[in-house]
Amino acid sequence: MINEPNDGGGPLSGLRVIDATDTLGAYASRLLGDLGADVVRVEPPRPRGKPRAETNLHRMFMHAGKRSVTLDLEHDAAAGILHRLLDGADTLVESFDPAWADARQLDPESLAHEHPRLVHVSVTPRGRTRTDAAAPEDDLTLLASGGLLHLGGYPDAEPVAAYGEQSTMAASLFAAVGALVALLDREVTGRGRWIDVSAQECVAQAVEDSVATYDLTGHVRQRLGSDPREAGSGIYPCADGYVTMVAGRLGTAKAWKALVAWMVEEGVEGAEELTAPEWSSLSHRQKPESIERFGEIFGRFIAPRTRLEMYRDAQRRGIALSPVNDVAAILADPQLAARAFFVEVDDPELDHPLTFPGPPYRLSATPAQPARPVRPVGADLEQVLGELGIERDELAALQRAGAV
Amino acid sequence: MSVSPYLSGLRVLDFCWVGAGAFVTKMLADLGADVIKVESHSRPDNLRVSPPRRPGTSGLEASGYFASRNSNKRSFALDMRQPRAREIAHRLAAESSVLTSNFRPGVLERWGLSYEDVRRDNPRIIYLTMPMQGASGPHSSFIGFGSTIASLAGLMHLSGLPDRPPVGTGTHYPDHVPNPGHALVALLSALYHRERTGEGQAIEVSQLESTVNVIGPAILEQSLGESVPSRNGNRSATASPRGVFPCRDEDWVAIACRTDEQWCSLADVLGHPEWTDDVRFSSLEARKRNEDALEALVRDATPTCDRATLVRLLRARGVAAAPVSSSRDVLEDEDLNDRGYWQRVQHPVIGDMAVAGPPFRIDGERPVLRPAPLLGEHTHAIARELLGLDDEEIERLVAEGVLA
Repeated sequence: MINEPNDGGGPLSGLRVIDATDTLGAYASRLLGDLGADVVRVEPPRPRGKPRAETNLHRMFMHAGKRSVTLDLEHDAAAGILHRLLDGADTLVESFDPAWADARQLDPESLAHEHPRLVHVSVTPRGRTRTDAAAPEDDLTLLASGGLLHLGGYPDAEPVAAYGEQSTMAASLFAAVGALVALLDREVTGRGRWIDVSAQECVAQAVEDSVATYDLTGHVRQRLGSDPREAGSGIYPCADGYVTMVAGRLGTAKAWKALVAWMVEEGVEGAEELTAPEWSSLSHRQKPESIERFGEIFGRFIAPRTRLEMYRDAQRRGIALSPVNDVAAILADPQLAARAFFVEVDDPELDHPLTFPGPPYRLSATPAQPARPVRPVGADLEQVLGELGIERDELAALQRAGAV
Repeated sequence: MSVSPYLSGLRVLDFCWVGAGAFVTKMLADLGADVIKVESHSRPDNLRVSPPRRPGTSGLEASGYFASRNSNKRSFALDMRQPRAREIAHRLAAESSVLTSNFRPGVLERWGLSYEDVRRDNPRIIYLTMPMQGASGPHSSFIGFGSTIASLAGLMHLSGLPDRPPVGTGTHYPDHVPNPGHALVALLSALYHRERTGEGQAIEVSQLESTVNVIGPAILEQSLGESVPSRNGNRSATASPRGVFPCRDEDWVAIACRTDEQWCSLADVLGHPEWTDDVRFSSLEARKRNEDALEALVRDATPTCDRATLVRLLRARGVAAAPVSSSRDVLEDEDLNDRGYWQRVQHPVIGDMAVAGPPFRIDGERPVLRPAPLLGEHTHAIARELLGLDDEEIERLVAEGVLA
């Protein structure tokens, strides 16, 4: 199967992106590719001195639709091919080790000199200025140094990280933003820029009001956990999992009344008690004994009910309650189904179609295209090198030399 | 003070409030766009009444949360309940390149500012909306908060310890990274398309659909059918130990070992070289099998360690390690400060405060941050420049409660 260069008509059609990322930054070129750019992923024929951290699932999601070539950049001939690729490219997204890149003239200054129109995006754990940048990092250490990890988890246990390599997601999202800002700027100035993305800084975008709180009041925010902070707001167990609810605070006073009326109507044991005037006050609902008592009454109410029943019936009454969806429930979500969000992708290496999330945005004139299957590593080598005018004989020689 | 040049020439009429939307237009403003934030004294942005506040300050101008999310914007006071105000908004939309909103579906339409209304006079407009679950579908009018999206999209269910209720990120994470990030990628791509073709368009970012993408690999895992994604604390299939451990002074450290060599270095640094002779821990597979025992050993060894020293020793030995940075640690972080991530700005009411700009540098530089605007601070200037009104007309509209 030949994977044609991307000409799906997206807003970025006609752009070429070279993706030389390791794990950090990989989602950036996935996004640019689905928006119409031709993305060529450059991978080492074997890991460059460190083990591959990515799992197969990660690879299938992050690299979906990219063309794949293998280049051993330790080899002069391969580095020459990379430069020829960059001559014809608009953007390079890489997560090279800085010292390694400096030694091979793949540093920002050399690249700007060789390819003045190239938008060069480097994605590194803590920015390219970091002196011990070679020390290994992990999603966990990046969430830690960016401040998000400290806010997650239960008050009586160690901090717990967000699921799903969110440091990669954050770094990739802002790498794509930086690339696009520089591409827009290039329309005016005619020259490329160097975008120096720090994954730590990208994670630090997520610390909410906690830094402002410390800066202005000296208070260091701690993790809050999953226990309700007041009667009516928090996570509650039901028949098939959990629901989250905010009823009573942040301008939802009506929702609290609606909730109590609903439980009374259903004849829930103890619900009448909640109609007493003191329950209308936030300070009463925040007392530990109130939280516990409400939990008993509400718990009886929802124990036999499912997440989806609670979701629909509560929303009909104007109560901000939602299911805590597991992945099967997301795949069955009526709203996502009605909007035909999920896409089935035929992966030639699998015996049944894979379900991908649909594009994260809907553009009216130039829609993003749905995910395409991931390409085997190196599958597009001959095609991409052919576009550079490298014929089969020459390719065979490069392969013999171990450059590709 | 110099203004960042990258997006200069871009005017954004901004109806975004509170969370995700405000972060989109902050990025545009920080990079040089003229962002006109529309709000009114009768209905100010909810974030203006949110803590933190510096002790001794109060009122709509004192919120540190608002100030940290609205740098470099201009504020235009306009009471959209007045018919005259809607006319003015329509004229401003005609003078803008971009219109942004995260109101509930239907609000802009009621004001005569639907995409069709705006494009009639301004066919080049890029019109970005960010509804919770999209403008169509059975749940399009459902209510919720940032944490609701995390619940619906699976992040809540998947984050936490396996034997305890889900805990999520402890923040409204979708508001801070996935949704502003995806919205910016779509918006900047549409601007790039318009630069080349002149064509404008509408963009809809359903916050639910956007957030499902950041757990993309979990959707694929479920669809493959070999395993079911579940919450697993800080553990991962590719590293062991991988966790958060206590240090002296109630500090926490994050550590991840992918290789046997890193495990040996960890044992050595913690003063227990004998651990490496234990067959239970002799390979990644073995360590995964005996992870409870392994983590217990590490957890017993770290509490006497000074965190900074431990991190330095481990990183020097090639082990991924980082402090679990609190809000104070993040504000004082050496890398973040060396790279100019935090800038001190002088806010007229709050005084000296830290604000973060974009999480990347462009050609080694940071855009200069100006403090968030006071409510209506730029009403007169914008009315003169863009509406061509003279001072007398402006004063009359202020007195009539239109520019108010």
